[in-house]
Amino acid sequence: MNRKSSKRVFSGKKVIPYLMAGDPDLETTRKLLKAARSEGVWAVELGVPFSDPTADGPVIQEAARRSLAPSTTLRNLLSWLEGVPSDERPPVYLMTYFNLFLSIGLDQFVALAQRAGGIRGAVIPDLSFEDAGFVRRIFHAGGMSLIPFVAPTTSDGRMKRIVARSEDFIYLVSLLGTTGKELSETGTVSRLVSRIRLLTDSPVCVGFGIQSPDVASKVLGVADGVIVGSRLVREETDPDRWQSLLAAFCDAARSAPSLTTAGV
Amino acid sequence: MRGNDKVDAPVFRRPSSLPDKRGYFGEFGGRYVSESLIEALYELETAFRLAWKDKSFHREMEEVYRDYVGRPTPLYCATALSDKVGGARIYLKREDLNHTGAHKINNTVGQALLARRMGKKRLIAETGAGQHGVATATVAARYGFECDVYMGSEDVRRQSLNVFRMNLLGTTVRPVDQGTRTLKDAISEALRDWSQSVMTTHYVLGTAFGPHPFPLMVRSFQSVIGREARKQILAKEGRLPDALVACVGGGSNAMGLFYPFLSDLDCALYGVEAGGRSLNPGEHAARFQTGKVGVLQGSRTYVLQDRDGQIEKTHSVSAGLDYSAVGPELAYYHDTGRIAFSSVGDEEAMEAFEMLCRSEGILPALESAHAIAWTIRLARQLGPSRVVVANLSGRGDKDVMEVARIKGVTFS
Repeated sequence: MNRKSSKRVFSGKKVIPYLMAGDPDLETTRKLLKAARSEGVWAVELGVPFSDPTADGPVIQEAARRSLAPSTTLRNLLSWLEGVPSDERPPVYLMTYFNLFLSIGLDQFVALAQRAGGIRGAVIPDLSFEDAGFVRRIFHAGGMSLIPFVAPTTSDGRMKRIVARSEDFIYLVSLLGTTGKELSETGTVSRLVSRIRLLTDSPVCVGFGIQSPDVASKVLGVADGVIVGSRLVREETDPDRWQSLLAAFCDAARSAPSLTTAGV
Repeated sequence: MRGNDKVDAPVFRRPSSLPDKRGYFGEFGGRYVSESLIEALYELETAFRLAWKDKSFHREMEEVYRDYVGRPTPLYCATALSDKVGGARIYLKREDLNHTGAHKINNTVGQALLARRMGKKRLIAETGAGQHGVATATVAARYGFECDVYMGSEDVRRQSLNVFRMNLLGTTVRPVDQGTRTLKDAISEALRDWSQSVMTTHYVLGTAFGPHPFPLMVRSFQSVIGREARKQILAKEGRLPDALVACVGGGSNAMGLFYPFLSDLDCALYGVEAGGRSLNPGEHAARFQTGKVGVLQGSRTYVLQDRDGQIEKTHSVSAGLDYSAVGPELAYYHDTGRIAFSSVGDEEAMEAFEMLCRSEGILPALESAHAIAWTIRLARQLGPSRVVVANLSGRGDKDVMEVARIKGVTFS
């Protein structure tokens, strides 16, 4: 692997790999975090397995199943992260379903996340903007971000309200459906990004459908970042293959044209 | 026994004021689904509220209820059962006599008429035992919708006859091979389908559960049960019943019967959950006994879960009660004390099943047998001169093979 790439700037483009914690074990997760760090990714989305992942397609469902077997709980994971030195992992956004946060208790979650360090926030796919008010307040009080979603079906009125809150980035769902589908054309994404840009300066990262570095590169022509989920999850039991694939996504990001709105 | 034990408990708000604008019954409910679906839920809510205010919508629905579904269903005074039990007079609301054999069709008719108004071309649904799947396939055939029904592969195996029935009606049954391969996984898969097909497809959720406005909508369509029962008992007894009983899976037959009685504080309301084999984790579906408040499949409510927040497996002899969460409106009335909840185990439900067969010549669904079992206990306790209404939510034809299996009967 090309280690020299680690400190190179991505022309402001963000690559955020999603990985399922504990798939197939935490030792592998540790290797992947380290690899992601050395590739210089902007952050990782660290998935926590949930028994009933309604927003996920087959690839991530399968990963969750592999990971659930040795019982990777949110609580265990937070204390495990505490033991991973911060120079061996990129900044982390935890990604899982709302019941797991409720089960620990939101205040307790924030306290544990602060203790673990390097956890910037959370991505909660089944927590709608309307239901999230008190969660946002607790997260913000603890210095954490609750990443807002925008989808192709989001109306202008709601989009305005959703992006009005300043968070680390906006998660733009590129296509309808679950994770693991292929984004075939970027016209819709481009229109969505333009609509968001009219309303906010927050970076827009696109997830769902980023199945190849080629797609990533096209999407990064208009957006600030990509979240790569299922395509990488398919390789995550083999850290070397995972890292070389991630490197290809990072190369795509480096060669993407820089945008005036981009920040690192 | 007059009223409920805990009727004086906190906030009891006017039932029609709930859910609030955000889809909450107190702290329960909400719209806990992915962003892709939220606008569709708003669209559905608007369409539903408009239709519900529209006389022509009700006229059409009433006509379909009368001529196609077979409503009103009788309120039957089960004298033979009452005599055998030796206590209160037991009335049965005969939802089992509906077209397709259960209360489920009240809701699918309403949602199909709504989907047609919204210009949707396709229906999807989840089903456990197959009753809601059959009821959806039926209205899809009648109104010309394309239809896919998600069903856990374990349930497909157990209920092969209902699968074939849906096929006959022109519906595609899609077996779900994820998780526990039962109702819960079928709902997840239906939600996944819907998040992709939301522009053209209406999701006919089968129970008073899921994201707002489903609990409101399903309760509204099912409340025809309680409205009829109220009129019928007043005609027969000249007064309201002392108690009403319904089994509780997601909660559609219970909310349907109870809703028009919620403000009659002298009518005690009893919801009966599946006690399964025991109250140990994974052996029952008694959410109010051992569940805690969480979020599952769109709703904040009581959920059976382990201490880490993973959803627990459930068990019941009746597939329709075999689910890890419960409707948010019922959760609210549980906490306010307006509805008392209890559970009945597999064995007691089986005994009630047989007792109703032998005494009245009525074969109840195993789900409804849970309500009958509790009604028997209650009637004894109340004694003569009292009146109890139980919801006989479905007929037991679908369960005959399962009952035979339990009794060790094999057919050649």
